[in-house]
Amino acid sequence: MLCRVCRRLPAPAVTLPSFLVMAVFTQLTRMRPWRWFICRKQFLSSFGRHGSIRRNMASDRAASQATRFDFLVIGGGSGGLAGARRASELGAATAVIESHKLGGTCVNVGCVPKKVMWNAAVHAEYLHDHSDYGFDTGNVRFSWETLKAKRDAYVSHLNRIYRNNLDKAKIQTIQGHARFTNDPEPTVEVDGRKYTAPHILIATGGLPSVLSDAEIPGANLGITSDGFFELETLPKRTVIVGAGYIAVEMAGILSTLGSKTSLIIRQTGVLRNFDSLISANCTKELQNTGIDLWKNSQVKSVCKSEKGLEVTIVTKDPEKKNDEEKTSTIQEVDCLLWAIGRQPNISGLNIGAMGVDTDERGHIIVDEFQNTSRPGIYAVGDVCGKALLTPVAIAAGRKLAHRLFEGKKDSKLDYSCIPTVVFSHPPIGTVGLTEEEAIKSRGKENVKIYKTSFTPMYHAITSRKSQCIMKLVCVGKEEKVVGLHMQGLGCDEMLQGFSVAIKMGATKADFDKTIAIHPTSSEEFVTMR
Amino acid sequence: RLLVVASFFLSFFFWGVCYSPPPLCISRAGKYDYDLVVIGGGSGGLACSKEAAQFGQKVAVLDYVDPTVKGKIKIWGLGGTCVNVGCIPKKLIHQAALFGTALKDAKKYGWQISEPVCHDWATMMEGVQNHVRSLNWGHRVQLQDKKVKYLNFKGSLVDEHTVKGLTKAGKETILTAKNIVIVTGGRPKYPTNIPGAVEHGITSDDMFWLKKSPGKTLVVGASYVALECAGFLTGIGLDTTVMVRSIALRGFDQQMAGLVTDYMETYGTKFAWKCVPKRVDKLSSGALQVTWTDTQTGGEHQDTYDSVLWAVGRAPETKALGLDKLGVKLNQETGKIVLATDESTSVPNIYALGDIGEGRPELTPTAIKAGKLLARRLAGQSAELMNYDNVPTTVFTPLEYGCVGLSEEEAEKRHGKDNIEVYHAFYKPLEFTVAERDASQCYIKVVCKRFGDQTILGLHFTGPNAGEVMQGFAMGFQCGATYSHLSQTVGIHPTCAEEVVKVNITKHSGLDATVTGC
Repeated sequence: MLCRVCRRLPAPAVTLPSFLVMAVFTQLTRMRPWRWFICRKQFLSSFGRHGSIRRNMASDRAASQATRFDFLVIGGGSGGLAGARRASELGAATAVIESHKLGGTCVNVGCVPKKVMWNAAVHAEYLHDHSDYGFDTGNVRFSWETLKAKRDAYVSHLNRIYRNNLDKAKIQTIQGHARFTNDPEPTVEVDGRKYTAPHILIATGGLPSVLSDAEIPGANLGITSDGFFELETLPKRTVIVGAGYIAVEMAGILSTLGSKTSLIIRQTGVLRNFDSLISANCTKELQNTGIDLWKNSQVKSVCKSEKGLEVTIVTKDPEKKNDEEKTSTIQEVDCLLWAIGRQPNISGLNIGAMGVDTDERGHIIVDEFQNTSRPGIYAVGDVCGKALLTPVAIAAGRKLAHRLFEGKKDSKLDYSCIPTVVFSHPPIGTVGLTEEEAIKSRGKENVKIYKTSFTPMYHAITSRKSQCIMKLVCVGKEEKVVGLHMQGLGCDEMLQGFSVAIKMGATKADFDKTIAIHPTSSEEFVTMR
Repeated sequence: RLLVVASFFLSFFFWGVCYSPPPLCISRAGKYDYDLVVIGGGSGGLACSKEAAQFGQKVAVLDYVDPTVKGKIKIWGLGGTCVNVGCIPKKLIHQAALFGTALKDAKKYGWQISEPVCHDWATMMEGVQNHVRSLNWGHRVQLQDKKVKYLNFKGSLVDEHTVKGLTKAGKETILTAKNIVIVTGGRPKYPTNIPGAVEHGITSDDMFWLKKSPGKTLVVGASYVALECAGFLTGIGLDTTVMVRSIALRGFDQQMAGLVTDYMETYGTKFAWKCVPKRVDKLSSGALQVTWTDTQTGGEHQDTYDSVLWAVGRAPETKALGLDKLGVKLNQETGKIVLATDESTSVPNIYALGDIGEGRPELTPTAIKAGKLLARRLAGQSAELMNYDNVPTTVFTPLEYGCVGLSEEEAEKRHGKDNIEVYHAFYKPLEFTVAERDASQCYIKVVCKRFGDQTILGLHFTGPNAGEVMQGFAMGFQCGATYSHLSQTVGIHPTCAEEVVKVNITKHSGLDATVTGC
């Protein structure tokens, strides 16, 4: 999965000389007089914006009077905010346009609330194990309402922190939907007001993909991961469609918290773009934890009855050519969740008119420096469709800010060896190439695999068990470690350090040289044979 | 340093003279019963003997356990301190204690748990001991599989090629070997000159085999053993006090040590700082009355406890070995065996490793690794020496603390205060937020060289899962990681470990190191 990222086109940087000159100047003068000038201008213009006359101006005049910034960021999510804040620190007059809540997917409908839910589910697992460790917990009930209230409060708290951070950094927050105008200079309109800057960053992120009723009758009776975070009660009966990490995480959370959960996948395993060991193991773990897995299956239709949704599913094993297609129905479903992928959030932006190229799925095409095909317009994060991860967007946003406003012309994010964790039960950690990718790129004879699997010591005294599996993908005579894959308790926290070492080019010998920390699960990586 | 280098060359010289490269995987026992006799069936001994056997050597392991003073355990199985009275039971009970906290957190996460929740020591101990026994058995089976002779003998040295084994029944057996490795480890010490200490107190050896909850406990000492024991006792709901003579976690970074004990204090562990016990008396009620002196005020205090746990250090198990007769050089102060870099003692053919070696870290993984490397050298398979630098470790206190490399103090001492840069961060684990837990002690410190490529000198982390977090970083450290290696690595969101690669505030800057937002 990650190597696809490494193989991105090595396009040269498209940097206008004038930007460079400005950036260097910026650095030399440490920004102050220039910034003062901008701020003053910004102040005056924002003062002027309160006048109602301007709204009725002809668009060409308005363009010339559009509020000017050094850096205009569309999208107040991880990438946009990080880029904006760094640019502002470097002296650029910056504004962020956000139509929804600050923090984007990660804070509002992604990593943060997801991990809170995962933590709650981990507590459910702990509660199973309590008696084995000597605690008598008696009757335990779960209140989704309590959890949701706490989670929402925490998310709101983060929204406020983000707002405060922007205010402190003197970054203007513009609330509303951005749309590129037809002005000759790239200009954005929000609620009838125009804004422009020599550098505009698109960081609008993505959205869960949805199916139309035309594609699957009744599809819109279901929700997506966004809707999952709005659920007011724990669904009794859940059907999740999809085999990606979001489907896996949602299924794990809902099932562990007590919802009877079915997972509908088109083929025979989940996480099919992960290393085959992980894919197979995760599929097995899902079933072990009581998730009703429907392989080779697709939803055909959904309809509503008095008792909930009826989800009709067709199943056909492609290997058994003679078998008939089987149609089944899951009754009384109170939550149908589509987790069939994500798509770029570009609707209404009017980027087509800007000469910003997109791929067939609508992702904005950028080079390694985050330049789009239109000079002065950049994109970072999920909207580009590569490595849809918060830290990637943050790092890319910051690198861009350093390039634009500090004159660091080589500042760019290295998309190789990006570590990823899936908060499944137990969690998955992966960095670098899968075995399959390594064989494909280096040849089978040059790839050496080290594997281990064991029961973590945590389970030594519990009746509930889960395995920990680990794999190192090494290449060449020197056995350079190009991939590390694992699933098991604690793998979420194990991966980061190893990802530093792997990025440094660690070999198997380096793993062997490292002294173990006992007793941990992670020590198995440095004692593998 | 010269000495180290000299002994390194000497050992090579020695190799050259004594060993012409032997044919692979063939026993050279010849006139001796064994190629290798290992005294001590702990982590180091087992690793060494199995590795040697793998290279075709004829190997015997002698393992024998003296009961503790208090006799809480009469005997234990193969695996030594780690398996029986160390790492393994410690971490399992630590896990139990974490559940105490998890229960409080679970309520905030929407779990409604009927109060009160009680912890049953016996249930936990049964699980722990069953696991320990299964490991004992596993080690036995492994020795058998690898054709290592296991002898439940108490071993002592007769000469540089001869070991005397004594069974429990008093039967003597003489074994001869080309090489002998002493890996008898250590046992907890009792203090001297404190009336009642030995009669009424227990040590960590007893702690892990208590059939009944120790109840209200006084832990004397502030080593990692003391703090770990006090931490898990507090965690399972026992009234626990730690009595500290001077400082906690000597040898560790003292800022980190302070965070560990601060957390324990908020967690409910009581601390009697700068206090030394004077006497222990058993009252007619059965309670233990401890009298101590506050060294700051000079005042005398008293309280009663159900148990008094001495965690005042560990002593090497050398007495019964007959080392003095052979002239094996010991460190007079510590009683540990003085070793060269190749684990050789002052007497030819006699080697030692693990906790019994002077200046060696008292850690299972170092003993294992050193044991394997020694076996390979003795079998003529390699000349690689054990590198005792860059040893990571984790203290499993209620708030875990993991580290590798130098403490800030040591880095200052070696490089000068102005030549080091400390990146640090106070972070809040996401799991603490909804649980409304105080995260004031969750901290990361990366000590780097200040100039040049900012090579990392030491890395310190307090927080959940510190052991699992630290291993990978220890490897980066082993590879010579610099600050920019950290900052160039993309984080994993949302985890605690990502905070390590996100550190960007230096101590020199004086800026607030609290992490805000994602």
